[in-house]
Amino acid sequence: MSVLIDDSTRVLVQGITGRIGSVQTHWMLEYGTKVVAGVTPGKGGTEVEGVPVFNSVEEAVKETGANASVFFVPAAFVLDAFLETVDAGIKLIVVVPEHIPVRDVIKMRHYAIEKGVFAIGPTTPGILSPGKGKMGIMPASLFRPGRVGIISRSGTLSYEFAGILSEVNVGQSTVVGMGADPVILRNLADILELFERDNDTDGVIIVGEVGGEQEEKAAGFIARRMTKPVAAYIAGRYSPQGKRMGHAGAIIRGSAGTVEAKQEALRAAGVEVLDSPIHAAQWAIKHKLR
Amino acid sequence: MRLHEHEALDIFEQMGIPVPRRGLATTMHEALHIAGEIGYPVILKAQVLVGGRGLAGGIKVAHSPDELKELAEGLLTSEIKGLPVRKILVCEKVEIQKELYLGITIDGYSGRPVIVVSTEGGVLIEETAKNAPEKIASIHIDPSFGYYPYKSRSLLRRLGLEQKIISAWSDVISQLYTISIRYEALIAEINPLVVLPNGGLLAVDAVLEIDDSAISRIHLPLPDRFERMENPLERRGREIGVTYVDLDGDIGLISSGAGLGMASMDIIAKNMRPANFLETGGGITADLLYRCMDLVLMKPNIRAIFINVYGGINPIHEGAKGVARYIKEHKVKIPIVAKALGNRQEETWEILRSAGVHVVTETATEKAIERLYELVGTNRE
Repeated sequence: MSVLIDDSTRVLVQGITGRIGSVQTHWMLEYGTKVVAGVTPGKGGTEVEGVPVFNSVEEAVKETGANASVFFVPAAFVLDAFLETVDAGIKLIVVVPEHIPVRDVIKMRHYAIEKGVFAIGPTTPGILSPGKGKMGIMPASLFRPGRVGIISRSGTLSYEFAGILSEVNVGQSTVVGMGADPVILRNLADILELFERDNDTDGVIIVGEVGGEQEEKAAGFIARRMTKPVAAYIAGRYSPQGKRMGHAGAIIRGSAGTVEAKQEALRAAGVEVLDSPIHAAQWAIKHKLR
Repeated sequence: MRLHEHEALDIFEQMGIPVPRRGLATTMHEALHIAGEIGYPVILKAQVLVGGRGLAGGIKVAHSPDELKELAEGLLTSEIKGLPVRKILVCEKVEIQKELYLGITIDGYSGRPVIVVSTEGGVLIEETAKNAPEKIASIHIDPSFGYYPYKSRSLLRRLGLEQKIISAWSDVISQLYTISIRYEALIAEINPLVVLPNGGLLAVDAVLEIDDSAISRIHLPLPDRFERMENPLERRGREIGVTYVDLDGDIGLISSGAGLGMASMDIIAKNMRPANFLETGGGITADLLYRCMDLVLMKPNIRAIFINVYGGINPIHEGAKGVARYIKEHKVKIPIVAKALGNRQEETWEILRSAGVHVVTETATEKAIERLYELVGTNRE
């Protein structure tokens, strides 16, 4: 087993005919991912990297048995494509693009949860299970098969952590980019739960950053439910405070959002807080996660 | 994009929210003229995009033309939290019976809009939220069904208010909610919403922050978003399509990804001081990194540059060509350390090395910054 991606995952690439979509399809195939279909309305009947392109998600699912979808669609068209994908019955969706309007994300999130779809993003590098496959843009060379799960808000920092672990022969079970937008499609706690249940994962690293309250809320879940060791790094200690205006956010969140508040909440839940990414290696070795 | 108070007040007024009589002045003489039409006393409010403006001295009351001249002159030559005051809003001063608070924002965790109200509005609202949470009430809006006015009425009933004020206030909430939808607002706020002696309400302040990702589809007149960026380097960053934040150190930074950029800053700051934060996002090209080099080196005191990029979505070998071209054309002499990993990394290293860049091939950013530290030495200006 692994988290979200396994041997039965049959990937549909939305926006496959675009510049990024076609390049990333190449890398996903090269990594051994079963990319079975692409969708770009109006380009049905063509092929990209040997993968058949369809005009609609419904058609692609019917013809190829696709059961997961990764998005390389321009931000303005993501909401429409997302709803279409949910309606076509796909249960795993990875939304890579950045700069999607927050109100679109809100609609996507609620529709997906209502229909029992596990969606991650936006602004995510996707999901990679070393040796099994990847949905998204993660550069495969940094990952090794193993037993540590990584969940990251930042794309490039997830690569950094995987690379640091791989250098000391600590492999990863699955690496998930949870997305970096103010509203994301699935909260951190939901993703942690997948790793807690996964037989191939022995420990989890959370790569968080300043802002929002995902890490604080996840701390509650960790204290109640996680039996596996968890470490966390929070980026942004040195980041200048924005010239904030308005009080509504501060009123509903209280002190949540600062690096210190996140670290404190996680520590109180028994999480080992890492001062710097490089400390992930020692943590994994100490917990015999090699 | 954050709007100035005067811009937000204009929008609120168009939507039917009661706002004070007012005028915008860029000179003392304009302020004098506006005050003459409104009648004394008037309130002068610096139009700067910072929070806590009142406590920082950006709001004054003028009772006479002489006092106004002095205060307007003072404000228009001052800075509030480092930002120059170019415009002041001259407003009628009303008699205040009570100050209320109304804010609409997005609750990021639950992914729903939330309306927040309080009977204790004013500058200390966040203190009230901590110390007297019973004076704050909030309600989430179900995104599948949207907002209906009964939501506001039931919210306000929880504060134990009379029906008369509930009716007037829920109208304002409905209007502000409509604004938050039409303008794709991340924050829409009135603080304080003033209760007048006749029982009427008046929005004497206005905050509106628009979702940058939605600006292109808002078909309503909006102010220019570049013009309002006060820092020329940050404005240049926006123009070339990267996020640049000006800091006070001397180590330049170019990173792909906000998290990696923040982690890089955190590590640099242990022994040195970052001059900037720069995050390219997923759109690296040779030209973009050429322009990033130019932007980072606009500050004259840069002692070294750290480039930290990953080739996932970004073609880093293309980016490397831009860096190399910049170094060659501008004969850059300061040390440049680069960590560039991922797709086509060997090709990238080759291009960078031949341009004289110190390439670090280990994964940990810490290792690359150690190398940078060795190169710039410990003597700091």
